[in-house]
Formats: sequence, C-alpha cells, structure tokens
Amino acid sequence: MSEPLDRMTCESAFRRLDDYLDRQLSPEEMRLVEEHLHICEACTREFTFEASVIAGVRRKLQSIPAPPDLLARIAARLRPNQD
Amino acid sequence: MPTAAPASFESLFTALAGSAFGVAVRFTNNRADAEDLVQDAALLAFRAFDSFEPGTNFKAWFFRILTNCYFSRRRREKSRPATADLDDTPDLYLYARSAENGFPTAGPDPAAQLLDTLGTERVAAAIARLPDEYRVVSTLYFMEDFSYEEIGRVLDCPVGTVRSRLHRGRKMLQKSLWQVAEESGIVAGSAGGVT
Repeated sequence: MSEPLDRMTCESAFRRLDDYLDRQLSPEEMRLVEEHLHICEACTREFTFEASVIAGVRRKLQSIPAPPDLLARIAARLRPNQD
Repeated sequence: MPTAAPASFESLFTALAGSAFGVAVRFTNNRADAEDLVQDAALLAFRAFDSFEPGTNFKAWFFRILTNCYFSRRRREKSRPATADLDDTPDLYLYARSAENGFPTAGPDPAAQLLDTLGTERVAAAIARLPDEYRVVSTLYFMEDFSYEEIGRVLDCPVGTVRSRLHRGRKMLQKSLWQVAEESGIVAGSAGGVT
C-alpha cells in the first residue's frame, strides 16, 4: 500500500476496499479512493455493496440477550474466590 | 500500589457481560455452552485481575481471556464439525451472485434485501461454517466493532494478521451466506458458474 499515487485506477482502489471501509487508510489514501469513487460508477457500486454486506451482517448478528440470571450465577462462582 | 479490589472487577465485568455472552454464543453456536464459556472466562479473569492494568482496555483484556478459553475448549474436543469448502472464494462473490439472481446490487443499501430475507439465524449459521480462526476474528469484528488493533490485542497477533484474516474471512462469509441461501431455497442452487 505504499507506492506513490496521485490518481487511483480501479485496481488500486479495489486493493484498498477493505481498509477503506474500515478507515484503516491514511488520510491521503482515503482522499484518493474517494476521488476515484467520485468518477467511477462501477467501483462505487462495488464499494457500496460491500459496505452494505458488512452493515447488514452487523445488524443481524448483534443483540443476543443474555440469560437474566447470568450475572447472579457468575457472582455465585466468584464468591468462594473472594475470601 | 494497592491491589485492585474485587468490586472493581465486578463493575467492569458487569458492563460487558451481555456482549461477552453474545460473542460466546457465536463462538460455540450454543447458549448453554456460551454461558459455561463466559462463566469460566469470568472466573479466570477474576483470578488474574491483579495483572490487569487499570486504565487500559478491560474489554480487550477480558475478550482475550474469553477467546483463549474458547480455543482451549476446542483443542479438547475430539471431533469438530466439518467446515464448508470456502477457500479461494473470489472477490465480490455476493455481488456477482446477487446480480446473477436478481437481487439488488445498487442503491443505498443493496445487500439489505438478501440479508433481511436470510434473517439472523441463517446469517449466524453462515458465520458458524467458517474455519475457527476466521470465525473468531469475524465474530469480534462484526459483533463488537473492535478495531484491528483491539482484535490484535484480543488474539495476541499483529495487526497485519488481523487484516489478512478479516479479508479472507469476509470473502469466505460471502460464499457461506450464499450456500445457506441456496440450501434454504431462498435462491436457486448453482449448477456451475462462480464457485
């Protein structure tokens, strides 16, 4: 990811897809990817789709309610260790 | 320096017990096993609490113990469920398959229709099919919004390893999601094409 860039191709933008979506790029690389997305409809569709998959999986997987007495049962196991 | 008081452990643990249970369910695919796992991890964490540095990331510290407990249990298991063949999944797998099968690939949230049709249990089933090292890193990423650095602390591995496992895990998950959709009759089964 360290080659000098002043403009991105589809290939170089795509190589940065995951890091871009996770905001792991440098500010300069973020800007270059965004510039590319601004002019490339195909890459924009692909990036938007990938972001949508991540957001959708997150929505589906989050929020599993814990058993209401979980903390009480753990506290009971910890109690003998507190003496 | 004074020893950390047990009450501090309890207050820190109480704040994340719910999310620890959720992650444990995705690790074990079973609520009873998940509860055992969280209880075992809590006991180990409590006993090791002196080694926790106040002011650092308790959540990452606890999830490291939870994850180590999980891997330790897995090592003791004699048989493990077979994982689907998810190696070598091409880039943009779900995008290509969605386009071929009439699911949206454009718009503000194009994957929502497929994922909503699948629903939580089938998405969880797709995650469950990933090989362990990819399932664990994906679960931490998708469920807890951990950064790469935090996942690296939890798994005791470099950020570069987290990045590569997540990249591969995401691709595997896309194929797994599609396999689950096919098996559930949500989409037609493949007779070739993208594999």
